[in-house]
Amino acid sequence: MPDAKEVIVRVKRQVSPKGTPYWEEFALPWRPAMNVIICLRDIAENPVTREGQRTTPISYDSNCLEEVCGSCAMLINGKARMACSALVDKLDQPIRLEPFSKFPVVRDLAVDRQFMFESLKRVKSWIPIDGTYDLGEGPRMAPETQEKAYPLSRCISCGSCLEVCPQVNDNNKFIGAAIISQVRLFNMHPTGAMHAKERIAALMEPGGIQDCANAQNCVKACPKDIPLTESIAEMNRQAWKQALVGWLVG
Amino acid sequence: MSRTATRSETDYLLRKLHSFTGVIPVGAFLAEHFWSNSYALVSRAQYDAKSQELQTIPFRVAVEWLFIFLPMLYHGGYGIYIWLRGKSNISAYPWVGNWLYTTQRYTGLIAFAYIGWHLYTERWLTHGKSTYTDVEDLLQNPYALAFMFIGVLASSFHLGVGIWNFLCKWGLAATVKAQRAAGALGATVGFAFSVIGVLIVLSFWLNWHPFDFYLK
Repeated sequence: MPDAKEVIVRVKRQVSPKGTPYWEEFALPWRPAMNVIICLRDIAENPVTREGQRTTPISYDSNCLEEVCGSCAMLINGKARMACSALVDKLDQPIRLEPFSKFPVVRDLAVDRQFMFESLKRVKSWIPIDGTYDLGEGPRMAPETQEKAYPLSRCISCGSCLEVCPQVNDNNKFIGAAIISQVRLFNMHPTGAMHAKERIAALMEPGGIQDCANAQNCVKACPKDIPLTESIAEMNRQAWKQALVGWLVG
Repeated sequence: MSRTATRSETDYLLRKLHSFTGVIPVGAFLAEHFWSNSYALVSRAQYDAKSQELQTIPFRVAVEWLFIFLPMLYHGGYGIYIWLRGKSNISAYPWVGNWLYTTQRYTGLIAFAYIGWHLYTERWLTHGKSTYTDVEDLLQNPYALAFMFIGVLASSFHLGVGIWNFLCKWGLAATVKAQRAAGALGATVGFAFSVIGVLIVLSFWLNWHPFDFYLK
């Protein structure tokens, strides 16, 4: 009988940043067009495990519910996914939910992605337009450049590219594909280009672009289809030119 | 911009040097080595003449250390350091690029160990005067023969993937289309080197000289 269908969800939980992880299993009534966020909401409405034990609602980050805010990224059946766009009917059950492994856990499925924010600050991932006087209008951007820049601007800092990257781990401070792609975006902008050299220099610091080992997992995992490997290659070329040729020809 | 000048680029430059030495001179030497050794496919005498020519080049020891031994030591040693700072995850993400990432590490280690043994048997034990007969004798040992095949295949694979990596990591193949072409080039090089390497080993093992009709 279809209305008796159940959705089994296993969640890796953790009470605090230093807490010991443990698993809890939930059996939820199936509904049409269910996604993982709906499962988590249903658990919050009735936080009772499959064994009938009362528990706490699961902590997780989410906001837009349409794959543009990047906050609900987590491991779904072992793969980096956005919970809002992960449809239950397309997932193998039991559905395993785990927090991202490359970021510190705050609680349950919520992780702290401060590392990405710090990296974005490190590479000056913005366009300075304020001065002590009115700087006036900036230069115009060619439509061709706009077409290249737009896909890069869709990055939602979800961290999926870092999660799947073999080079991002405890032994390494690699900043990851998203940040490198943002440098490309801001260096492509006619006003942003005024700080291009500074951003490239930041990319060559320890943990920078050199730590990419070309496994190309990032581009496969990116939920926004950003051409991350193109961005990395492009920035790689600009970086070595600046580092190796820059001191000769300026 | 004064802050940028004080930033450390050492890590960046060492990593770039690792990438560069893999192609030049290590990869280039592999190409030269396979070319010279393929004289065995012509005849024993042709091979001995070619190897004697190489063994009597001017500044031999300096050339060997500067263009062969030191770059290989650096590429291998730094490569192990890179391996230790990565964490393979092919079970979770079994994509082609990810497989190549992992196999690149294992083939690199195999090739490094093999080259060490190969240098010991063919360069040190023979005092740099290895001949066709020396190699032929060595390959009568089945373990040596097996290691020779493994070493040739691991080195060829590692060079093929390395060329793809190099073209991507220096931004010479930046677009998706260019990276696909770089992948095809790497695969072709890896495959061609494997075939030629295996033919050379077979030539020594079986005393087989398919191009000896040139001399008739």
